[in-house]
Amino acid sequence: MATVSDLDRVSMVILRYMRSPVFVLIIVYAIGITGMALIPGQDADGNVAYMSLFHAFYFFTFTATTTGFGEIPHDFTDAQRLWAILCIYMGVIAWLYAIGSIFRLMQNPHFLLALNEHRFARSVRQLRDPFFIICGFGDTGSLLARGLSDHWLRGVIIDTDPDRIKALRLRDYRVSMPGLCADPTVPRHLVDAGIRMPNCQGIVILTSKDDINTRIAVMARLLNPGVRILCRASSPRHIHHLESLGNITIINPFEIFAQLLSMAIQSPRLHNLNASLVRAPGVRLGDPIEVPTGDWIICGYGRMGRWLYRHFVDNGISPVVIDPRAEDIEGAARVIRAHANPESLREAGLEHAVGVVAGTDDDHVNLGILTSVAAIKPDVFTIVRQNRHENQLAFDAVDAKLVLQSSLTIARRVLKHLISPQVQLFIEYLRERGEDICAQTVERLRRNIGEQAPHLWHLRIEENSAGAVCERLAADLPLRLGEIRRDPHQRDASLPCIAFSIMRADQLVMLPGDDLLLVEGDDILFCGTERSETLLSASANNVYTLDYLVTGIDQPRGHVFRWLQQRAASTG
Amino acid sequence: MNLERVVFGFVIILGLAFTFAFVIGDFDNPGHHDIWMLTIAILINLIATGLKLGDRSQVGALLLASSLVADVLLIAARVVWIIREQETALGPSVETMANIVSLAAGALLASIVTVVILVGDTLISRR
Repeated sequence: MATVSDLDRVSMVILRYMRSPVFVLIIVYAIGITGMALIPGQDADGNVAYMSLFHAFYFFTFTATTTGFGEIPHDFTDAQRLWAILCIYMGVIAWLYAIGSIFRLMQNPHFLLALNEHRFARSVRQLRDPFFIICGFGDTGSLLARGLSDHWLRGVIIDTDPDRIKALRLRDYRVSMPGLCADPTVPRHLVDAGIRMPNCQGIVILTSKDDINTRIAVMARLLNPGVRILCRASSPRHIHHLESLGNITIINPFEIFAQLLSMAIQSPRLHNLNASLVRAPGVRLGDPIEVPTGDWIICGYGRMGRWLYRHFVDNGISPVVIDPRAEDIEGAARVIRAHANPESLREAGLEHAVGVVAGTDDDHVNLGILTSVAAIKPDVFTIVRQNRHENQLAFDAVDAKLVLQSSLTIARRVLKHLISPQVQLFIEYLRERGEDICAQTVERLRRNIGEQAPHLWHLRIEENSAGAVCERLAADLPLRLGEIRRDPHQRDASLPCIAFSIMRADQLVMLPGDDLLLVEGDDILFCGTERSETLLSASANNVYTLDYLVTGIDQPRGHVFRWLQQRAASTG
Repeated sequence: MNLERVVFGFVIILGLAFTFAFVIGDFDNPGHHDIWMLTIAILINLIATGLKLGDRSQVGALLLASSLVADVLLIAARVVWIIREQETALGPSVETMANIVSLAAGALLASIVTVVILVGDTLISRR
């Protein structure tokens, strides 16, 4: 419906612009051709000969477009030449007018806008693969798009800033990502972005304004009640509003920060596993950071500071808070109402503190705190909040133990959700089960993939993603998880990957063993190398390879040899 | 070692060899091209096609397709030979011979493709 209206807009603008030039052309052509056909001419023998209408049209066409093939079919009389002069001037002026109108149309911003929207809607309509809609292509959006592209997932991007959409067109993604410069709160643009299409896997709303995010979420829910929505929101009012809509994954960057910090304190191994799963740079699997417990100082008590503070208190640490606008805080060791500088840091007891959080919403202030801290007590554990992605180089230089960057954290969390919602559930499962299970899992993962970066993917036991497996299960032949994991090049070895969890009929099976029998409809979350994903998917779709993996025998493929084998078997 | 692979590889390479044996020589000299060679090449290629029937893998489908091309071209060459055999006392004329050998050369190309696919597949599976 909206696509039709868009097409109408484009053609309507063209028609409105071209109406008068086309009229002028038709009238000029009619006058020229009629005149040429009515004026008597002479043939080679001097007889009176009239130009046929077709010849008149031919003559006028090449005259008006200044091609000029000459006088046909016979040399012209003076009367004809006189008319021809008139034809030339009329025709050329009419054409100049028409071409000028086309150029003006091409420069008309409304036309360009309509054309862009039309092209965007068409390229989205032609998508056959599953895709995600990303509203907002700022730091977070572009990091997310990069992550999606690394996993061969497709995104459709809407942003209000034309510069960001231009930037998008210059990116070298593995899959093409159409982008539209438009207001995502307008429902027509969401429909153009494919929110109603069956292969739309979800919408990720990442603009920096909670208010706009909520509006987009409401609109998306109305346009497609079944669509998965991931929405960034940090203020309690908007979070409450979004929760009331139901079934929306709310991404609150400050809460995620605090969870990560809490995880780093309580279960460093899990934090390490999580960091390497999201491929945080400089993280080695099985080499966790140790967050010390003792006296902590939090500089900045805004939205992030509040969350961090709550999680510190939950972990039995009562930190000193430094913030010029802080009120009395329950449970805090001390509150210092001052800007964070060497004096206030000393006053907060930096000399015997174990850790400092530089958590204001200004990168320069945070970097300043870190420099002061390094001058007073260089060996203290530092956690710093990075607000803008463009300050990356400065943050690399200060060498903080833990950098919490809003855009990166959100992008990683969203990406985990989009790859498979099981990832986060698995992390939470490990968290509940404690450090030992986590250590075992990390050890198993390391044995399998070594020093390579872990790669997450999921395999759904369905006809189009694992055809051979489905065929086998339909024939009532059992298939174990360990059998499909075997290496097709070397059957007694396994591919470098492990299964984290299996979603079976809305029930999660965590850390399934190799003996587990697969069932059609299973959704398996694997972690391994990218190459093992390719090989595993090939085994799951090739009946012969799968059969070889299970039995160890290369079964004959052609009718002839199968018949021979059956005969040999029946005669003994 | 897989018996089916051995037999199929043997037949397909034998077919290629016979096609080559028929094609080699002066292009249009009827004395350089033997009708028996062509007939045997057709037979062997048909056997190779038969052996590939029933394979449901992608590579199997490609092998079947390329050996079918070889069959069609070789049979076309043989049919031309039958129709034009009476042209001269010694058999087909020089022009007809050139046509027949061209068709057989096409079949040779298809056979080479088959062998390349077969070798590639065997190398990739590495076991």
